[in-house]
Amino acid sequence: MASEFMTTPYYKVNILTGTKAAKVVSEPTEAASIIDKATNPLYVFGAEVIDSPVGDRLLIDYALEIAKSRDIPICATAHVKKKMMELGVRPDSTYDIIEIVHFLKDKSWAGVRGKGFHDLVLFTGVRCDLAERGLSTLKHFAPHLKTFAICRRSHPNADFALPVIPKTEKWRVYLEGVISELGAV
Amino acid sequence: MSKGKMREEEIRRIIRADDEWEPVGPTPMPNLTDLRNWDFRLLDTYEPFYAPFCDLCCLCTYGKCDLTGDKKGACGIDIAAQQARWILICSLMGTAAHGAHGRHMIEHLIEKFGEDFKIDLGSQVNVEAPIIRTVMGLKPENLGDLRKAIEYVEREMIHLVSATHMGQEGSYRDFESKAFHAGMLDHVALEAADIAQIVGYGLPTSIADTALVDLGWGAIDVKKPTIVVVGHNAVTANAIVDYLRQHDLYDKVEVAGLCCTALDMTRYDSGAKVIGPLSRQRFFLKAGLADVVVTDEQCVVTDIPQMASEAGAAMIACSDKICYGLQEASAMAADDILKAVLEEQKQFLILDSEKAAEVIVRAALALAPTRQERKKIMTQEEAALVSAKCRGTCEACNRACPNLLPVNVAINQARQGDFAKLGSVFLRCIGCAKCEEACVNDIPIQKVMQAAAASDTYKIRAGRGPIHDVEIRKVGSPIVLGTIPGVVLFAGCSNFPGDIDDVAWLAEELARRKYIVTLSGCAAMAASMRKDEDGKTIYEKYIPEFDAGCIVNVGSCVSNAHVVGAAIKIANIFATLPNRANFELMADYILNRVGACGVVWGPYSQKALSIGTGAVRWGIPVVLGPHGSKYRRLFMSKKEASDWNVIDGRTKQVVNTEEPTPEHMMLVTETKERALVTIIKQCFRRNDTPPGRAIKLNSYISAYKQVIGGLPDDLQNFVRTEKEIPIVYKREVIAYLKEVGWKPKTVLSLPTLIGTYETKVPIEATIK
Amino acid sequence: MYAADVGPQYEGERIRKSDFHVEFGGPDVSHKGELVTVKGLDEVEHDKIIVTGPDIKDLPEGSSNRIFIKVDVAGEVLEKDLEAVLERRVHQYINYIEGVFHMAQRYDIWIRIHKNAFKKGLNSLEEIGRILIDLFTAELPVIEKMSIEFVTDPAKVEELLAEAIKVYKERDAKVKGLREEDVEEFYGCVLCQSFAPTHVCVITPERISLCGAINWFDGRAATKVDPEGAQFAIPKGNLVDEEGIGYDTVNQVVTERSMGETTQFSLHSALSFPHTSCGCFEAIVFYIPEVDGFGIVSRDFVGSTVIGDPFSTLAGMASGGKQNEGYLGIGVQYLLSPKFLIADGGYSRVAWMTSTLKELASEEVPEDLLAKIATEKDVQNVDELTEFMQNAGRL
Ligand code: SF4
Ligand code: SF4
Ligand code: SF4
Ligand code: SF4
Repeated sequence: MASEFMTTPYYKVNILTGTKAAKVVSEPTEAASIIDKATNPLYVFGAEVIDSPVGDRLLIDYALEIAKSRDIPICATAHVKKKMMELGVRPDSTYDIIEIVHFLKDKSWAGVRGKGFHDLVLFTGVRCDLAERGLSTLKHFAPHLKTFAICRRSHPNADFALPVIPKTEKWRVYLEGVISELGAV
Repeated sequence: MSKGKMREEEIRRIIRADDEWEPVGPTPMPNLTDLRNWDFRLLDTYEPFYAPFCDLCCLCTYGKCDLTGDKKGACGIDIAAQQARWILICSLMGTAAHGAHGRHMIEHLIEKFGEDFKIDLGSQVNVEAPIIRTVMGLKPENLGDLRKAIEYVEREMIHLVSATHMGQEGSYRDFESKAFHAGMLDHVALEAADIAQIVGYGLPTSIADTALVDLGWGAIDVKKPTIVVVGHNAVTANAIVDYLRQHDLYDKVEVAGLCCTALDMTRYDSGAKVIGPLSRQRFFLKAGLADVVVTDEQCVVTDIPQMASEAGAAMIACSDKICYGLQEASAMAADDILKAVLEEQKQFLILDSEKAAEVIVRAALALAPTRQERKKIMTQEEAALVSAKCRGTCEACNRACPNLLPVNVAINQARQGDFAKLGSVFLRCIGCAKCEEACVNDIPIQKVMQAAAASDTYKIRAGRGPIHDVEIRKVGSPIVLGTIPGVVLFAGCSNFPGDIDDVAWLAEELARRKYIVTLSGCAAMAASMRKDEDGKTIYEKYIPEFDAGCIVNVGSCVSNAHVVGAAIKIANIFATLPNRANFELMADYILNRVGACGVVWGPYSQKALSIGTGAVRWGIPVVLGPHGSKYRRLFMSKKEASDWNVIDGRTKQVVNTEEPTPEHMMLVTETKERALVTIIKQCFRRNDTPPGRAIKLNSYISAYKQVIGGLPDDLQNFVRTEKEIPIVYKREVIAYLKEVGWKPKTVLSLPTLIGTYETKVPIEATIK
Repeated sequence: MYAADVGPQYEGERIRKSDFHVEFGGPDVSHKGELVTVKGLDEVEHDKIIVTGPDIKDLPEGSSNRIFIKVDVAGEVLEKDLEAVLERRVHQYINYIEGVFHMAQRYDIWIRIHKNAFKKGLNSLEEIGRILIDLFTAELPVIEKMSIEFVTDPAKVEELLAEAIKVYKERDAKVKGLREEDVEEFYGCVLCQSFAPTHVCVITPERISLCGAINWFDGRAATKVDPEGAQFAIPKGNLVDEEGIGYDTVNQVVTERSMGETTQFSLHSALSFPHTSCGCFEAIVFYIPEVDGFGIVSRDFVGSTVIGDPFSTLAGMASGGKQNEGYLGIGVQYLLSPKFLIADGGYSRVAWMTSTLKELASEEVPEDLLAKIATEKDVQNVDELTEFMQNAGRL
């Protein structure tokens, strides 16, 4: 396992002032196995998935493939729903980012598909400073679940985070790696 | 701590309880615990949401304490209470800033005019101080009475500050109740401060179409001696205007301001100019366009002395809150100060506003001719040259940027002569200078950005102060019925997540849907920075009345009081409920019946936090931009799963309305699109009549379709009867409701929370 | 769904000369009009939309054209009296369409289609017809059948207009002549109870609601269209108080709906058992004891009335949904009612009114009577008013 504890995220505003930092998931295989182990995962899409190009596709295309591989329900925050509908996918929830985090804190919440609390929550494309705050909320107030920030800027308050991946090409390779691993499991 | 007999007597004396303009309600000058039950009732439905900034506490020497997991501090505090404690501390900072500002303003005016100087807000405003009347039970008649209001704020604050000490309050709910108290006191201070300056300086009141004034770099003729005032307290700025008028110099000198001092100065004299909001401070000062920089108080970047001296400008500080280590020169002769300023570039603190004004004007006149060469914005050629070393690869700038902007790309392209990207970064830049500090090649990024910034002139309407009683009469009924879909206040600072003109976009989307749109402070400024195809700003396009589809600039931060005041006046003037010392009755009315929503799209200062926290106690929901998540605390319901019981005033029975309105009391949205639909939703009220709800739902659906797509998937929560389905979407909505198994809900005409919790207010009071 | 977006958010839109693709009606066009006619169920072919004459796409850009909009509706409970109310909805709903504006009514209409709307595909009047029928039938289920004809053929417009003008005239005569004595029902409204819990409005042919928004015909339409709504019918019952004009059924309904707070209404008196006032009134009648007469002030009057109080102070006294002898909130159109405060003596009891209101009243009230009523231009306080009244021979 290539895991280590995080020191510095890409953005200085997100620097950890504290004691409990994310485990860095450097390898796509590892990322895939975390996702694979979850029994009732949820995928939260933030506004940036619809306008961040990764190679010649959009971030949302990759995120959708990850979600599809395990039929992970999707929460489309901000105005992501519009793009998803254009792509022919109906989100399972349209709570905004802070709303979904608020519900996730509550272990007795039925979850977006009514199957009980989500044990793993993936995040992609949420504005980095806001995501970091939400991850902090869940770190402190949702011991019943694990968070995984699938974000190239890295998030110390998540349970699992990627390392900082400055090069877009490497980011693409990572995402494709996760997708193909998930396909292979 | 219940009030003793003596304190009760004292309060009766302070508020002149024997003046019988209205009977004294249950809570005159409430103390820390008097409104606690109301606060808890709010917190039951709108739970605090915490996003800790830090895992630790380091407030005392037992610490640092790790508060992760189940761990507690050495003093016993847990992570939730620690967050709430921070919120209280920060709210207190905000309240103190407004309170001290009010104290200074009022004392200055009392020195000038005496404490008996009458409060008269003109023929259109009878209920002069709805907040002070409601909270304190005092009907302020003169400046001396406004001082009483500030004294009350001060008295309460000492207890609140005390509660933040280690080993004091231990429950997050009580910390929040105290933060509410701080927020409410903040509103008292705001109102006192603005009324004082309106009467003391003759600022506009009782008129709606105040002057259109110039805003933006383009508006300032830097060829003239240029004085720039920065901050929030216009005492010295107004003295400068007076001095110029007295010496017949007004057309020879440019006086411009940054932040709220600028706004208040244009209320005093419409010839003064607004440079822009807080985020533009450093840009303007670094460009060296000011000959004299004047600081007063609040939201003033603290490295101004350094920037001024680098630009070769003179600098005078005027507030005891910001002394910068400078020599206080009020006792010196003006000639001597001037000599030191001009010959030694010495900077001074001058607390005597008249003396300061003289020195400032004379310094500007003397300095300007010598500084013409320095008052130049970097050209694009120069900018490309100083950026020569950037390859856009190290990204140190980006990583430092708190607004997550792609500075590297912008600078790298500027180096190659393409300034388009840099221009767009500038529009989103909050002016913090962190990128510049981080740049490994010492590129003066802020100066480079100026080369890409358009130096346009915009029109903003001077702040108009209080909403008129007659306006309230006109809109009272449609607001309460719900046929005016809402009153929205854009307040706060300018750290917007997106472009600086997003506020203008939001304001216009709402105004054209017939909301009453009001703005204040930096938000009001930013909203002017967008023109339509005819070159008109929203202030030129929309009628400046407090009415459906109109857009009103109330004024500076302290003028926010008037919008809260308007909500109170709807209950008091329009529905004739007594407001004297009747906080709960007013707040309950607003929460249930007045579709008002506050928006702080640029939530930066602690003042904005205390204003927002106060608004929540009044029953006004607040929507924040993403930076607001760094305040650490929000108030949210669990939508349909929360407690939506009310008492039906007609039958006095508890009724489960089953509808989450207003849905949240404070939340953050990530994008302006989501903000739009959220604001619209936060204006729903339980009291909406079916036709009113239909209009509100129409706004909701139309906006949702426009920016998010499809029908909202929570319509079933807000449609109570079929009659409420907007006709334009009727077929579609009925089909959807069928699909999700919607059932009709009760529509109440007199919903109230009074009676659902322990309170001294009888249910009868809500009906009258 | 449609070629243009639709909703009340577009209601305030203005389209300038340089921005319209074509316009219909307006000051440059001699003949234009619109008419809604209630017909029998077998006389209307539902959903039929026809355009007679050139359509939007056939007309030259920037042109001003004749138009007549002929709307036929049918439904079990529809009646002739509702035609005017329905006609106003044509105006409202056309304005819902993005990029289309509609102004005025009857023979005065003015419609503009924005260039952008045209570009987006709004190139036929048929589309507007489609939208109108959808909105009408969604909002008013009592309309069972509806057809629309847009006539742009100049000769035919002229013909239809001539017919319509007769109808407008007949309608006006009827509205004008309608008295409380002629009808079987009055209407009540309790919409404002959400802020004035004991207030009830009673609306008669000679007493428009105090908010000015609901006249007898509107009340009638509303109760037909939405029997469960805030407006309801009050059978006229017996005139039990001839002097004050009070009806037993009205009193019953008021007692019930005000939760017992008010038990008796004189429909045309400000002094004894006056109608209650919620807070929405357009004007206030207030008693001035010194001259034993009334003052009348409207909401938009700036400054103090003759008794020293501004509108807002008087409004505070009048409002709240309780009976206040000497204070009465009214809709300004009530000034033109033949029964205006008749129980108190009508205009002969009015001592002071604002000049704008006096101007309005001059449509109905004889010149010599009006001349004896003071305005803010004549007198500033009660002493001056007393003198004025004495000079006018009224005291
Ligand atoms: S105040 Fe409490 S939690 Fe904070 S450092 Fe001191 S003992 Fe620790
Ligand atoms: S000055 Fe602007 S671009 Fe630079 S770090 Fe601050 S916000 Fe970002
Ligand atoms: S830190 Fe400086 S050199 Fe590096 S990318 Fe940013 S602007 Fe260029
Ligand atoms: S004032 Fe108008 S809306 Fe209010 S109750 Fe009377 S008629 Fe109805």
